[in-house]
Amino acid sequence: MDFFPLYLTIKVSFAATVFTVAIGLVIAWTMAKKEFFGKDILDVVVMQSLVIPPTVLGYYLLALLGKSSPLGRFLEDALGFQIVFTWKGAVVAAFVSSLPLFVKPARAAFEGVGAELENAARLLGKSEIYIIRTVTLPLAWRGILAGTVMSFARATGEFGATLMIAGNIPGLTQTMPVAIYDAVQRADDYTANILVGLITLFSFTVLYLAGRFTRGRF
Amino acid sequence: MSLNFELKKRLQGFSIDVGLRIDEELMVLFGPSGAGKTMILKMISGIVSPDEGVVEVASARLFDSKSGIDLPIRSRRIGYVFQDYALFPHKTVFGNISYGIDYLEDSEIKRRVGELLEIMRLTGLENRYPHELSGGQKQRTALARTLAASPRVLLLDEPFSALDYQVREKLRSDLLNIHKLYPITTILVTHDLEEAFMLGKRIAVINNGKIEQTGSREDVFYRPRTRNVARFMGVKNIFSGTVAGFDSAHTIIQSRDLGTIKAHTPGGAALGVGKEVSFCIRPEEVIVIRPDKVLDNRVQDNLFEGEIIETTGKGSTHTMYLKIGSGGALLKIELPNFVLRKLALATGKRIRISLKKEDVWIIP
Repeated sequence: MDFFPLYLTIKVSFAATVFTVAIGLVIAWTMAKKEFFGKDILDVVVMQSLVIPPTVLGYYLLALLGKSSPLGRFLEDALGFQIVFTWKGAVVAAFVSSLPLFVKPARAAFEGVGAELENAARLLGKSEIYIIRTVTLPLAWRGILAGTVMSFARATGEFGATLMIAGNIPGLTQTMPVAIYDAVQRADDYTANILVGLITLFSFTVLYLAGRFTRGRF
Repeated sequence: MSLNFELKKRLQGFSIDVGLRIDEELMVLFGPSGAGKTMILKMISGIVSPDEGVVEVASARLFDSKSGIDLPIRSRRIGYVFQDYALFPHKTVFGNISYGIDYLEDSEIKRRVGELLEIMRLTGLENRYPHELSGGQKQRTALARTLAASPRVLLLDEPFSALDYQVREKLRSDLLNIHKLYPITTILVTHDLEEAFMLGKRIAVINNGKIEQTGSREDVFYRPRTRNVARFMGVKNIFSGTVAGFDSAHTIIQSRDLGTIKAHTPGGAALGVGKEVSFCIRPEEVIVIRPDKVLDNRVQDNLFEGEIIETTGKGSTHTMYLKIGSGGALLKIELPNFVLRKLALATGKRIRISLKKEDVWIIP
């Protein structure tokens, strides 16, 4: 039994979650606290990957980051950074598809910290950064953590877009969901059953944990 | 430090246009709900930007629409106690009070918070979280948190409205003591008449975004300048009439509702004969005359007879409505319970009353 898919899935999901949380926090906070032109459009773009078919998403990513696109050529020629058909491609696919699952609960958590509390802190002479650190984040962390867990789980299960942009190269880009598909195609029930069992167990655990985080004292 | 402001802002349905100057005193902004009182506090503190205007503390500009000055909230050093307190739910009483001064040295923080805990009767509660406090304790924590940061101006937005009657009574007198201890320029917003009278040496009556009258509480209470102020101050008995003439110190008014009325006019108000005026008398100033009483000079004027059509007990006092004259004018009378008992007043009875000239106030 080859455990590379398990190892790769964990690696890809961790990397994707780091990006999701870092970028998602900025997006979620801005959407919750600021009014700006194009807010609705940004919302639609971020949420898109919840509804758009993963293959379509993969196609867009391929068009954006592949060798035929200026961005893809620039990344590869100037920076030596190849995304398509590498594990980095799987990270991009996992990031894009898990972002909305982080942004939605994180934004709701930020919105849940009323403007009055933040104004109270401003009136006491505090700067915006200080207020985020001492008031907003400590009150919103449950929602943020729940979002992190959900988006990590979504990243581990990414299939369609990953297949499009990273391909199915055993030992190189074959993540667990892709490996399951592969095993079923080969009629390798033994491998398929183990991988399916692992993912099922993992999904149950994640939802249970996410549920616990959202119940809070405050 | 004195606070001086002029604020204009257009809002949905009405606009705010106010200006006041407040020295180191407690000024009450009094008015009905929706008059714009809270919005005025928000504009002074910088939470909401006025369309036009000036905000000055000790002649330093915090906001000036003409020269584009608009200090951020954190630099204004204005204390604000929100109606629902806005305590940080994840911080203890100590953590809340010390939040604004957490840059000081530990020993100094402890000293200052300790002092405030004692003044606010919160000693022993410093490790509690807001959800473990009663309403009054939350309110005192919020006030302590604001005072800890040594504000130059203190804004209190209906600070007692969410509390029980007894707690409210106690906290009002607490506030007066604290104001003596920390004589900070303070604005207190309320729609509670009793609170306005008890706390405000000076009262500004706000209606529909404008100041209708500013003055000492006695001025506003007994000498309202507009019908609205009279109404908000609970005067209730407001009638219309025409100035018919003058005799020595009195103005004679001819009223459709009550007939001829004499009113004491202090300072010889410049009213011409024939001018339409309103006049009013507070329900508790109406004198009920005992049936067997021989009328002396004091009660010779403004005598009326009428039928009691309604009596309602209100705890320590009774409210009666008296139907007077042919026009069916109603006069509201408020009497202590013992007077009611002594004179055996009840619905359906006819009684005589007198409106003392000094207590009839003319609204020009």
